Amino acid sequence: MNLYEFEGKNLLAKHGIKTPRGVVVRRGDDFVSKYNELVKLGIKDVVVKAQVLSGKRGKNNGIKFCDNGEEVKKACEELFTLNIRGQYVAAILIEEKLAIAEEHYISIVYDTNKKQPCLIYSKQGGMDIEDVAEEKIEKVWLDIREENVVGVETLHATSLPIDELWKLFLNEDTRQVEINPLVKTKSGEWVAADAKIAIDDDAFFRHPSASSGPSVTDWTKFEPRTMLGRLPTSREIAVKKIDEGEKYYQGTAGKYIELDGDIAMILNGGGASIANMDALAQVGLKAANYTEYSGNPPREKVAALARIVLSKPGLKGLWMCGVVANFTNIKETFLGICDALDEIKPTYPIVVRRDGTESAAGFALLEECAKRNNLNIKMFKKETGMSATAQILAEMIEK
Amino acid sequence: MSILIDKNTKVVVQGMTGKEGQKGAKAMLDYNTTVLCGVTPNKGGQEVEGKPIFNSVGEAKAQWPDLNTSVIYVPPFAAKAAILEAIEAGVALINVFTERIPIKDTAYCLAASQEKGARVLGPSSLGVINPGIGRLGVVGGPLVNEIFQPGSIGVVSRSGGMTNELSWSLRQAGLGQSAAVHVGGDLLMGTTYADVLRLFEKDANTKGVIIFGEHGGSYEFEIVEAIQKKEYTKPLAIFIGGKFASSLPEGMNIGHAGAIVERGKGAAEKAAALATVGVMIAEQYEDLVNLIKPYA
Repeated sequence: MNLYEFEGKNLLAKHGIKTPRGVVVRRGDDFVSKYNELVKLGIKDVVVKAQVLSGKRGKNNGIKFCDNGEEVKKACEELFTLNIRGQYVAAILIEEKLAIAEEHYISIVYDTNKKQPCLIYSKQGGMDIEDVAEEKIEKVWLDIREENVVGVETLHATSLPIDELWKLFLNEDTRQVEINPLVKTKSGEWVAADAKIAIDDDAFFRHPSASSGPSVTDWTKFEPRTMLGRLPTSREIAVKKIDEGEKYYQGTAGKYIELDGDIAMILNGGGASIANMDALAQVGLKAANYTEYSGNPPREKVAALARIVLSKPGLKGLWMCGVVANFTNIKETFLGICDALDEIKPTYPIVVRRDGTESAAGFALLEECAKRNNLNIKMFKKETGMSATAQILAEMIEK
Repeated sequence: MSILIDKNTKVVVQGMTGKEGQKGAKAMLDYNTTVLCGVTPNKGGQEVEGKPIFNSVGEAKAQWPDLNTSVIYVPPFAAKAAILEAIEAGVALINVFTERIPIKDTAYCLAASQEKGARVLGPSSLGVINPGIGRLGVVGGPLVNEIFQPGSIGVVSRSGGMTNELSWSLRQAGLGQSAAVHVGGDLLMGTTYADVLRLFEKDANTKGVIIFGEHGGSYEFEIVEAIQKKEYTKPLAIFIGGKFASSLPEGMNIGHAGAIVERGKGAAEKAAALATVGVMIAEQYEDLVNLIKPYA
């Protein structure tokens, strides 16, 4: 999950990296009085920054410079109307304008080729790192098993906050930390003027809401978010809860991304699902959602997921399409599907394609369910290819 | 010949007392793979599927010095300790079934395995099958004999389901598989597409390979490099899924954990790069079998 700048800066500050003093404002806040909190600290010149989940904010009018309350108010009102490269503005950060002497770049990311983290540093900060010449970028591969950064003696000599960043990377279970620009102020201090941090969703069990002491960041407090240029929908928020709790890893059923189309999708597995999204588009249909379950989830998880998928208004069809399963039990998971169909009784066409463990029993259950609810349904096993069943659904809808 | 496993493969199942671990052990035994024992801390002395359970891999290895392969079915929060235990005990091949392991733990284990010369297959890998020889994990599930038969085409995917589905389409066309490998869908993986292709290159049984690839990450680009360096020279056909994702915002994750939308790393860009080194590109995954059939 990508963090907003202000959330990232809280983590930087926690690990001893200096950040500018600032306040976060939301829609409906009194922007002037929030600004006045900074004025009381002796800050007049401020930077007003839209809080979005991904990049190129500066080039797209997402940052304003102001020196009085009226200007701040105007800037905030304007920023909240924007959608920055498709990203919803969730909040605005108003912070002190720094006296900048130099702008540098520093990040730590995973190098998938070397399978270890890589520290990337450049004296040319403040611009996209892709636009910086290769010879102006230093890369140092790190060993995740080392508590202290080694092999960066020349960089250490520059007093860059490398150790602090490494501690953050290790202890906060991040996938990426980036400070751009890392500012050297006229008084010679390093200050993080921006923060781009992504946390690893799979490590959430190490960041619980229980009172684990002040050293552990409580990930449950992060607000719900999506990168689709809007607030997350109630369905998206509800589905996330399916995979929470102690047995979160027993099957995955917590994936739902709401899209603009009208075909409900219940897919299986991360690979087949993206191929089937492509296949649906190829027959001219539009998905209402992206949803998959996998890893042999129990009946209850599947039922909860199917109920939410089918609750979207305006659906014209349902495509339940999955592979010949290796270990997901078809009977157990179809029991969950039947639970949802019994409640919702859809009238639009349904096409199912699936096979695997106990598929005969699973399909028999689904057939009975179809009979008692008068469903308009066609069912296929492995003899019919997945893509072919997209075409069948398209023809049923056309009738 | 075969890749990753052969008749000398001797397996320990870590987490065999759990539900999925027991299923995994049974799947391997049913396919005539030698499973010697299981390991679950504090459950030593029990028996599962007629095989003894030990408290540690070290104990198991002391009993059977020729134990050379581990398959790991433990919950994500216990995975790091389990993998490190197998590495420390000197196990050569470690297949990690566990999904949703924190990336930091995976990186830690991969650094340790590289140092010790152990190979990790996964995480999030359902395993590998060499039809007629044996299987690690549950590839093929209970329909394994309907889907797999010995043949000359290798199969690789980050998707367990598609590993099966591609193998099935080969069978429908009257072909068989030399081996099918599920490398796992995580951002970091112990054994990549390119690693598996290098193994297929050396395998006399394999005449060609089909791969189900996907948007995001750079593993498909490693294939381009392997072909340029002539580390892989046999026919190869690929389908890259996730074309629809090119309209989604950069940084968004859709599909496997490693499938993050990135400009320049979309399905179309990958297909184009692979085509320049002579890889056959399928428009639909079903076409892969037609592309590779002339070489089988």
